[in-house]
Amino acid sequence: MAKVTVDGIELEVPNGSTILQAAELAGKEIPRFCYHERLSIAGNCRMCLVEVEKIPKPVASCAQPISEGMVIKTDSDMVRKSRRSVMEFLLINHPLDCPICDQGGECYLQDEAVGYGSDHTRYHENKRAVNEKDFGPLVKTVMTRCIHCTRCIRFLSEVAGVPELGATSRGEEMEVGTYVQRALSSELSANIIDLCPVGALTSKPYAFTARTWELRKTDSIDVLDAVGCSIRIDAKGPDVLRILPRINDAVNEEWLGDKSRFALDGLKRRRLDRPWVRQNGRLVEASWEQAFAAIAQRMHNVAGERIGAIAGNLCDAESMIALKDLMASLGSGNLDCRQDEAALDSTRRAFYLFNTTIEGIEEADACLFIGVDPRREAPVLNARIRKRWLAGKFPVGIIGPSLDITYDATHLGDGPSAITALQNGDHEFAGALEAAAKPMIILGQGALARPDGAAILAAVWALGAKYGVMNADWNGFNLLHVAASRVGALDMGFLPASGAKNLAGMMQGGVDILWLLGADEFDMSRITADQFVIYQGHHGDAGAARADVILPGAAYTEKNGTYVNTEGRAQWGARAVMPPGQAREDWRIIRAFSELIGHALPYDDLPAVRARLAAANPIFGEIGQVRRLAGIDLTGPTGEGAFDAAPFRPAVSNYYQTDPISRASPTMAKCVAAHASPLASAAE
Amino acid sequence: MMTLERPLTKNIKPNTPPMGLHAYQAAGGYEAVRQTLGRVAPADLVEMVIQSGLGGRGGGGFSAGRKWQLMPDPKADPGPRYLVINADEMEPGTFKDRLLLEGDPHQMIEGIILSAYAIQADISYIFVRGEYGTAITRLESAIGAARDAGLLGRNILGSSYDLEIHVHGGAGRYICGEETALLNSLEGRRAVPRAKPPFPQISGLWGRPTVVNNVETICNIPHIVLRGVDWYKSLGLDGESGTKIYGVSGRVKSPGTFELPMGTTLNDLIEHAGGMREGYQLRAVLPGGASTAFLLDDQLDIPLSFAGVAKAGSRLGTGTAIILDDRTCPVGMLHNLQHFFAQESCGWCAPCRDGLPWVERILAKIESGQGEMSDLALLDDIAGTLGPGRTFCALAPGAMASLVSGLTYFRAEFEQHIHTKSCGWT
Repeated sequence: MAKVTVDGIELEVPNGSTILQAAELAGKEIPRFCYHERLSIAGNCRMCLVEVEKIPKPVASCAQPISEGMVIKTDSDMVRKSRRSVMEFLLINHPLDCPICDQGGECYLQDEAVGYGSDHTRYHENKRAVNEKDFGPLVKTVMTRCIHCTRCIRFLSEVAGVPELGATSRGEEMEVGTYVQRALSSELSANIIDLCPVGALTSKPYAFTARTWELRKTDSIDVLDAVGCSIRIDAKGPDVLRILPRINDAVNEEWLGDKSRFALDGLKRRRLDRPWVRQNGRLVEASWEQAFAAIAQRMHNVAGERIGAIAGNLCDAESMIALKDLMASLGSGNLDCRQDEAALDSTRRAFYLFNTTIEGIEEADACLFIGVDPRREAPVLNARIRKRWLAGKFPVGIIGPSLDITYDATHLGDGPSAITALQNGDHEFAGALEAAAKPMIILGQGALARPDGAAILAAVWALGAKYGVMNADWNGFNLLHVAASRVGALDMGFLPASGAKNLAGMMQGGVDILWLLGADEFDMSRITADQFVIYQGHHGDAGAARADVILPGAAYTEKNGTYVNTEGRAQWGARAVMPPGQAREDWRIIRAFSELIGHALPYDDLPAVRARLAAANPIFGEIGQVRRLAGIDLTGPTGEGAFDAAPFRPAVSNYYQTDPISRASPTMAKCVAAHASPLASAAE
Repeated sequence: MMTLERPLTKNIKPNTPPMGLHAYQAAGGYEAVRQTLGRVAPADLVEMVIQSGLGGRGGGGFSAGRKWQLMPDPKADPGPRYLVINADEMEPGTFKDRLLLEGDPHQMIEGIILSAYAIQADISYIFVRGEYGTAITRLESAIGAARDAGLLGRNILGSSYDLEIHVHGGAGRYICGEETALLNSLEGRRAVPRAKPPFPQISGLWGRPTVVNNVETICNIPHIVLRGVDWYKSLGLDGESGTKIYGVSGRVKSPGTFELPMGTTLNDLIEHAGGMREGYQLRAVLPGGASTAFLLDDQLDIPLSFAGVAKAGSRLGTGTAIILDDRTCPVGMLHNLQHFFAQESCGWCAPCRDGLPWVERILAKIESGQGEMSDLALLDDIAGTLGPGRTFCALAPGAMASLVSGLTYFRAEFEQHIHTKSCGWT
């Protein structure tokens, strides 16, 4: 610790802090444009200049480390004059088109100009104008507004690991761009919109939609992958207009994947906004009463074991527990949440969680991927792995497809034979795992959703046991899920009861009545014509097309729901807008139906459902928390059988379209088109 | 008058190709290398250079030996270490390094071998201004000859010391003369300066310990080694060591470069250049290139040493004087200089990127007769906000040095432009 004085306040700050950090600890705000806590220090905007005693020149506080006894002034005449002059320089070439700029109202430059700007200009020469760039379907550019802070350049090259932006030309001619015009290829590209301190980079889909002060802001959780990023949903009237990341150091820091941010226009399309009942082979609009009556009628005299339920990937825990309880009351244990039929073992949480935790990645010292594509399955989590890799001494091995994951990795093999080789120590990467004190393995759903999945799971656990991946201080055994609902469903046991049918068992006439709760991700042709299908969900996707009765539910932005992320962290999503038309919150639909058929579920408000959840598994009551489990018990999951020689295929092949919402999103479709033919856009 | 010793240029004859390896060795070349490698401890060599009082000839004047001393111990931080020669000579009016590179490339190489040995560097890069094609060709040819003679490569002269020298031609950016921008450029990155700390000695080229030295600085080393510290100190005047390659441009009878004792007066230097041409009077001098403040004709007796020029309110810089005569418009000259700096700003930091073009435009306005008196106050004000500390590197503060002094010394000419709405100089 070093003692410094900031504006007369004496305080102790950690050695190696910058003056800016010391000032913040002293409660002094230092204006800045280029500096960002999570990026490298640039020191180029010169807005953060402060005065330091015994140093004759003003000092850039973002880049200057403190030293013992430093006396810092953040608000002297010299400092104010310096900031005013920097502001004047920045505004020389800034167009001051705030009235037509989407950044207006949430613009650093605008905010600081109130403090340090002048009411008139002394610059009477021509301003520069810069040609627009085309960064693809997500990021809109007005490069004339750019103040060259280079945050976007640094983000893409440092955090996203895709160094696609840079500067060309010097001096006043300097421009930020891609050099050869092309769409940004990072799954995290839109974070540069948040980072841009001015209106040079704004959201293309959101352009000219609303002003920030018109928006209703709701803190919630993203469900389009299993990371559970903290988000803020910005809505106006009945519409979700914008989704932004919230800071959550334990999960997403302050980043968000492009899909999670921009699939929101899918929330307005292909919506199920009223019940439908199939009559004479065609779906016709119906009332809630008619829809419920049709189900009740079909269920009449059907034995419990002839009824089954499948939970989809976006389901909240509340609706799943309600459906599970309903099924139990009907005498059915035919439940499954594994639409991909991944061989998950729910007997111990350690078998299906990302045990290391996302924050824990930063402690790891080696990593092995098995059948997983972290960049497309969980881009924000991949950024954390990259952050660890950048810190150095972090060997990464891949078993599975050799993909660009934005950092260096050793490719060990395409399929299960590489696991055997590693188990036998027949690969040089074995040395890296052996040398590591905190090695981690990340096993993807792609490696489990195959006939030999259970054997793979058991073999990977055994591999972990051999290389000390699980020990008393550390658990490096990790499953990376892709479905936001999956861990919650496993935690509550949304799985076949003993002797009951799993998804495969329910197919091909295995049950007479199938209740699909937002389940769209399996092959509907496996359901035979005589099976009666209830689809409860929010989008007219695969499940609804096969349904005999459609119950319109709420999307994640329209309900209060609990989701457990891949780490096992229970989090609450919140309702930002009402579901459209006659659609309702999903657990309430099930509760209403249960009453109709005389099996009323014993809860009728949200706290009561959540109490039921916590009773089923206490983790549902530990909101925001994660239990880091030590890897003491080395008893592995039971899985036997021979390996299939087929190479692993990652669970996500098309990042932009993975669920009913993103498949309904025109913006996501544009992303797919932009990345399907990058050369075409470059040649334009 | 005693004959002046000119160790740096003794092998250089105008309009003659440089000495080849044999001629250079016959003239005593590489003797310093033979006496040093494996015989003198690197630390002793560093100490010798500190004692010699050799100051950085790129313009900083900081003790070369002390700069070397900041390199970490190779045992504590094993791995590659670099010596980078800054030969990106782009300062307007400056052409002294070109003389040394083209005129005596082996002297450069010998200096590099000794200096790299002193800092225990195993790789050296010579970053040469791209337009210096002749220098690049001659350096590469000399390096080839030296390698063939066992003076470069592995186990030089059986000393178990290894060194490779690579010549890198710059792509034409003034900012590459700034040592950290040079390192970025050498790494293939955009040529913008890096933040200091960390200094290059700690984290330089590719994050490894690196010393960046000017051409002329390094060319001094063989002579210091061979002839000793006392001899070297005796060469200089005014308490300074060694000789300096001064340059003179402007309307003098014989503009060019001159190796003279460090601390020679401006008067003497101009005399070496043959004095002013007929019909021209000296008005002012930029003593060390375009980034230094003007000296006036009543300051010609000051010694051209780092301390001497600083005392007179300017900087020695590269020691290459640009003479402003009485028939050249000072406003036009300043506009020309500011045009250069505005164009060469790398664009990294806001004040330099946006401020210098503004300055240039105001000067253009005044020069073309469209200026107003308020523009002068504005220029004064902007110059203050582009001073040291306000910008990321020294480019803009350097640019302001000539402008601020020019605004003071040539106020009458500025006002005349404004009042008469024309330049008036032909």
